[in-house]
Amino acid sequence: MSGILWIELVVGIIISFTLLGLLLWAVKGGQFDDGKKQMNGLLFDSTEDLQDAINKENKIKELKAKKQKNNLA
Amino acid sequence: MSNVECTHCNLSFPKEVMIIEEPDINFSKESLASPTDIRYFCCKGCQGVYHLLQDDGLDSFYAKKGKEKLSKPLAVDEDASNFDLDSFKDIYIKKNNDGFSSIDLVIEGIHCSACIWLNEKVLNDEAGILEVNINFSNHKAKIIWDEDTIKLSSIIEKIRAIGYNAYPYKAGIKNETNVNKKRDYFSKLSVAIFASMNIMMIDVAKYTGYLTSMSEDAKFMIHVAEMIFATPVLFYSGIIFFKGAYFGLKNKIINMDFLIAFGAVLTYIYSWYVLVSGSGNSYFDSVAMIITFVLVGKYLEVIGKKSANDTIDSIKSAIPYEATRILNNEKQIVSVEEIQIGDIIEVKNGQKACVDGKLISTYASFDQSSISGESIEVSKSKGDTIYSSTINTSDVIVYEATTTYANSTFNSIIELLENSLNTKPKIQDITNELSKNFSLTILLLSILTFAGWYLYNGEFENALIVSISVIVIACPCALALATPIASLIGISWLSKKGLILKDAKLIETFNDIDTIVLDKTGTITNATLEVVNISSNKLNKEELNILYTLTDSSTHLVSNAIKQYLQSNYNDLEFINLENINQIAGVGINATYNNNKIYGGKGSLTNTAYTSFEFKINDNVVVSFDLQDSIKEDASELIEFFDKQNIEVHICSGDNENVVKNVANELNIKNYHANMKPKDKYDFILELKKQNKKVAMVGDGVNDTLALSSADISISMASGSDISINVSDVIILNNSLKSLMNSFYISKRTYKFIKQNLFISLVYNALTIPIAMAGYVVPLFAALSMSLSSLLVVSNSFRIKKDIK
Repeated sequence: MSGILWIELVVGIIISFTLLGLLLWAVKGGQFDDGKKQMNGLLFDSTEDLQDAINKENKIKELKAKKQKNNLA
Repeated sequence: MSNVECTHCNLSFPKEVMIIEEPDINFSKESLASPTDIRYFCCKGCQGVYHLLQDDGLDSFYAKKGKEKLSKPLAVDEDASNFDLDSFKDIYIKKNNDGFSSIDLVIEGIHCSACIWLNEKVLNDEAGILEVNINFSNHKAKIIWDEDTIKLSSIIEKIRAIGYNAYPYKAGIKNETNVNKKRDYFSKLSVAIFASMNIMMIDVAKYTGYLTSMSEDAKFMIHVAEMIFATPVLFYSGIIFFKGAYFGLKNKIINMDFLIAFGAVLTYIYSWYVLVSGSGNSYFDSVAMIITFVLVGKYLEVIGKKSANDTIDSIKSAIPYEATRILNNEKQIVSVEEIQIGDIIEVKNGQKACVDGKLISTYASFDQSSISGESIEVSKSKGDTIYSSTINTSDVIVYEATTTYANSTFNSIIELLENSLNTKPKIQDITNELSKNFSLTILLLSILTFAGWYLYNGEFENALIVSISVIVIACPCALALATPIASLIGISWLSKKGLILKDAKLIETFNDIDTIVLDKTGTITNATLEVVNISSNKLNKEELNILYTLTDSSTHLVSNAIKQYLQSNYNDLEFINLENINQIAGVGINATYNNNKIYGGKGSLTNTAYTSFEFKINDNVVVSFDLQDSIKEDASELIEFFDKQNIEVHICSGDNENVVKNVANELNIKNYHANMKPKDKYDFILELKKQNKKVAMVGDGVNDTLALSSADISISMASGSDISINVSDVIILNNSLKSLMNSFYISKRTYKFIKQNLFISLVYNALTIPIAMAGYVVPLFAALSMSLSSLLVVSNSFRIKKDIK
């Protein structure tokens, strides 16, 4: 019985600390700098916004590549 | 006369004054403005932005915004090409490692998260922009873009096109330090709260287990789990206290941080001893709780400092960063810092003066609301003083600088404000002071207990357990809870009454207030003009229609008030064809009608208690109006309330003596002060404080900001400027004076309960500590009894709300 409890305890602690680690990683990245925006963002997230995020990533990649090319030239 | 809401900004206006659009077939499901609805717009700006958003497929903005009211789109005439000048780039634009440019801006006109969404969406859709991040709380934005693809001026124009405006600001090192510090504290607090909540859950099992005699194995398991959660709290979250203790010791001071670190470490070591030896009860829960409770307070302090810094940044962004200097008949755009005394400066319509000076042009009119708070334009003639940050509402003018930028009026105000916000005296927190002395006493008593018992029976373990019991039973939890829990209940009740208190400590300050300084415009008056006297009511239909059309042609406050008066008192008003309509800023409007000279504007009588308006046809006065700012309905009740509370009331206003005297007499207020500039109000409050008075200041405008920052408690109306709200300790959301009375009543009542709670916890400790020192309490019961005292304090606090209906 107590063997199972020990396993549960260890697994529980590993999972909860992993989630905590993810939270700290997000805080470090600045995701929680603006609490209000974060909360309101939940209301606005849509598939269109996800598509926008992908487009933005692609745009950044293109601009960086272009810049690098210009710098080398 | 029915009011309708503007489709874009949701502000309500009479249907007659709206621009009406018939429904079209371009239907968007997401838009709240259904195609079957007629669309109303309060101005061309709203209409323009609405159509721009429709054309760009951004109409889902309206669904996101919901019923949130926006301000009218900002019409900015300023040329955005200034943003591309080298002098501007040197100051505000930074280059990152990849060669992209970045700038920090403050976006003006943001009201809700839909505004943020719209700005970010519009900018992100632009080619060449890599990153746009707008902060909801302080409206600061960081934009990273590629200068080879898009110019900064185009970015700014895009922001202006959708009805917002942007100002650059210099994000200094201080700003970055504050952001990093806030992040660091947020991480530490997250860990502490996460671990403490888990420990609380484990505690339920632990204490239930003690009562039902759990096995040694289960007890060990619980102690291990608590240790795992308590360790990061002590060594990660609690590192702040270790650092504080180290610096304290370095300076030979035993500070609060030392006591917290020492108490927590001692309890942690003892708990490890229990864990390894298997005898007794561990107190890992106490370690986590102590650190978490104190850390919450520290985090709030960090947020407070950051918000003070954000406020100053947003004020600074409102000052022009460059000016047009005329040297040898040539115009030069120079940075404001380069302006010297004697330089000739040109200011276009809508632009702000950057330094103080003397008017060279024959005539000018200025909006001085940032300095005096008066919403009415001020006329200036040659030789009159021009103040920095005031807006030119006339045509292009030139003036001679009499100060440099550093010594200008507005910059001096900012410097004072910066000083005032950073050194604002925090009210001596009785509880903190008490727990500090209390902790030191308990620490000494515990050491004495240990020494006494060890000398008495020579048993180290017994002496250690008894001394730990003393620490645990006297854990200042109840004392620490006494203030926050009562404050929390008081604050939540205040918020239900439309009041936001920025700091719980203010509840104590409210209790000490003996003087209140009220701003006039917008605080005790409605800040809208109303017609109070009319010289004649016998106007014929033609005269009425001429006057109605004339007042409609201007957006001036006085014109609006006359127009509204006509609309509510006369039926069948019609617009007629006036010709040669010409507005003379600060004076009135001229026009012609059937070869007759028409004039509407300033009356010949000045410096009366009223604002006057005359309507003339061919230089003959047809009718004259007296207008006055109306007093809010609860104002006299408020003054009576302060009288009963023995609180001295003062009115301070930038308006002329007659106007202020009139309001003061009507409300029976003896102390009134007119013609006060921001610095005068600030000095007046400092003078009151010198007389050992505890001063509360109530205001709403930018001109009140400085005075607000110097008062013991600053209260601001939510309808006021963003800056005054940021500086204030208390915000009245519903702008009602009744709420102002409530703030005093509830705070005083809450403070009474805080004192009761402190009494309960101190009596508890006075009774239990001697019992613990005598060795009659084992640590387990010490912990239970400690929880009981906390419970007592919490349940007493709930009585605050129970007794108030």
